[in-house]
Amino acid sequence: MNCRKLKSWFEERYDIEPFRRFLKSKFVPEHKYDIWYYTGGIAMFLFVIQFVTGIVLSFYYVPFHEVAHKSIIDIVTKLNMGWFFRSLHHWGAQLSILTLFVHAFSTLILKSYRKPRELVWITGTILLGISIFFGLSGYLMLWDERAFAAVRVATGGVGNLPIIGNFIKFFLRGGIDVTGETLTRFYAFHVSLLPLITLVLVGIHLLLVQYHGISVPLSQENEIRGYKPFFPNVLYKDLMLWLMVFGIVVTVAALSPPEIGKKADPLAPPPENIKPEWYFLFLFQTLKFFPGEIMGLNGEMIAIILISFAILFFVLIPFFDKKSNRGERSTLFTWIGVLYTLYFVIMTIIGFLS
Amino acid sequence: MIGFLFFILLLFGFSHLFAQELGIEVSPSSPYDRFTIYETLAFFWAGILGLIVIIKMKLKEIERVQSFGIDKDGRDSPLIE
Amino acid sequence: MKILYSLVTRRTFLNTLFCGWLIAFLSGCVYALLKFAFPTLGKEPDFVVLNVKDFLDIPPNSVKPFAWGGKLGLFFKKEDGSNYALKGVCTHMECNVMYKPEEKKFYCPCHKGWFDENGKNIAGPPPKPLEFFDIKIEGEKLIVSKKGIKVELPKA
Repeated sequence: MNCRKLKSWFEERYDIEPFRRFLKSKFVPEHKYDIWYYTGGIAMFLFVIQFVTGIVLSFYYVPFHEVAHKSIIDIVTKLNMGWFFRSLHHWGAQLSILTLFVHAFSTLILKSYRKPRELVWITGTILLGISIFFGLSGYLMLWDERAFAAVRVATGGVGNLPIIGNFIKFFLRGGIDVTGETLTRFYAFHVSLLPLITLVLVGIHLLLVQYHGISVPLSQENEIRGYKPFFPNVLYKDLMLWLMVFGIVVTVAALSPPEIGKKADPLAPPPENIKPEWYFLFLFQTLKFFPGEIMGLNGEMIAIILISFAILFFVLIPFFDKKSNRGERSTLFTWIGVLYTLYFVIMTIIGFLS
Repeated sequence: MIGFLFFILLLFGFSHLFAQELGIEVSPSSPYDRFTIYETLAFFWAGILGLIVIIKMKLKEIERVQSFGIDKDGRDSPLIE
Repeated sequence: MKILYSLVTRRTFLNTLFCGWLIAFLSGCVYALLKFAFPTLGKEPDFVVLNVKDFLDIPPNSVKPFAWGGKLGLFFKKEDGSNYALKGVCTHMECNVMYKPEEKKFYCPCHKGWFDENGKNIAGPPPKPLEFFDIKIEGEKLIVSKKGIKVELPKA
């Protein structure tokens, strides 16, 4: 009743027929691997949860190193359900980064990056890097011993890059060492710079997917069972999945809120057995395998250079995979994709267990 | 019509119950609080599962209608309001 | 009694059910979110407890400020030595008032409002007198409470 009047008010002024026609024309193919299509939507949904919980938390968090730790304790103890929203923000972050890795590795193995979708892949890999930086900067907000040590190691590691390493380290830390200055600029990254970049990049990423249409793996091009209209069929499936994910993340957040460690002391030694967040473990573990010195050169620098090349290759893979660009099966790159995935998973597990 | 309004009212009452639990300002460690948290989670899951079921129903219905094939022919025919 | 035909279409039923349930669910979630985002709606305290020593010995015809929740409270000793406490907030637009001992009046600089030493609004835009509180002294404690509020302190 009211809906109809509002609708006609709008339609008398704005012609949304081409938009409506576009929506009706979106079709999603059904094949053996179509379940992986849902990973992107879930990642986006989790990011929306992060935005919302992050905004309300930022009403109370104070990014000044003297009181940052206390402000979080206040949120958790003195505010209505503060503990829950902090926990939800924490677990939402863990799950969204996990989902992003699943999304990245699945598109890698299924080769969704091949021509003409190279830019979708590039924006995607940048977004993956940004989300990891989101995780690191958010983690520092707690300003406890673990977070402090983790940021020191992470920014120190970056500093081992030749030539540009020191410059990046100085920029990230806001000085020679991790201090209150670091907290302030990490806060600026976390609440304004990174969200803005994310919004722009996700917008481009989504627009490009609309433009190109959804990609079909090479092996399935002739095995498509049918096409389902996106509106409303696939959207309903999306909604059901998002509701399940919402339920899971809320339940985990309610039942196991994260702890709050001791306030960071720049002069104290790092706590025993310090380990970074799980999504850094594979890097951490890789560094551990490199000896301190290789042929007279700094072992860590060599490790960082090799890792950087591996990451660069990962980002630019659409331009290396010539065969799939031509539309041919490329078993070599399938194996490269599987290798990347297995390396990440195994190194993370080893890092966890050691 | 009245039946539906009553149903919606019930749902709102339901949601108020759910919302009320969360309004209690206690730290989540005493047994009373743990119970409140579990209870709220139960209501929450009831809400989520209910929504999932309803969406499934809508999906089934839209698939049933689509299997008639009415949207395939006459796609370009003008809409009659 | 079974009716021969349905009162609503399947579509209407499903849509109403979906929208209704969704609104109920979302309003529950949004309520929780808002409860967190707006924790206390500026509630003033019913009473505050101060240290007697800090306030009782101020010179006559002077005021000493104290915190009344987030607002200004004034402990006021008149010329004759009698003690009062009032909310130092102007009844016009909630600016903080100041005491002018030479004229024995309270003055609000925002719009030049004047109150006499009993808080009555005598000049300028303020529409109501200043709010005075009840004072009770219990040993070392000075209890300032809203008029009419019965204060029962917990046994420390």
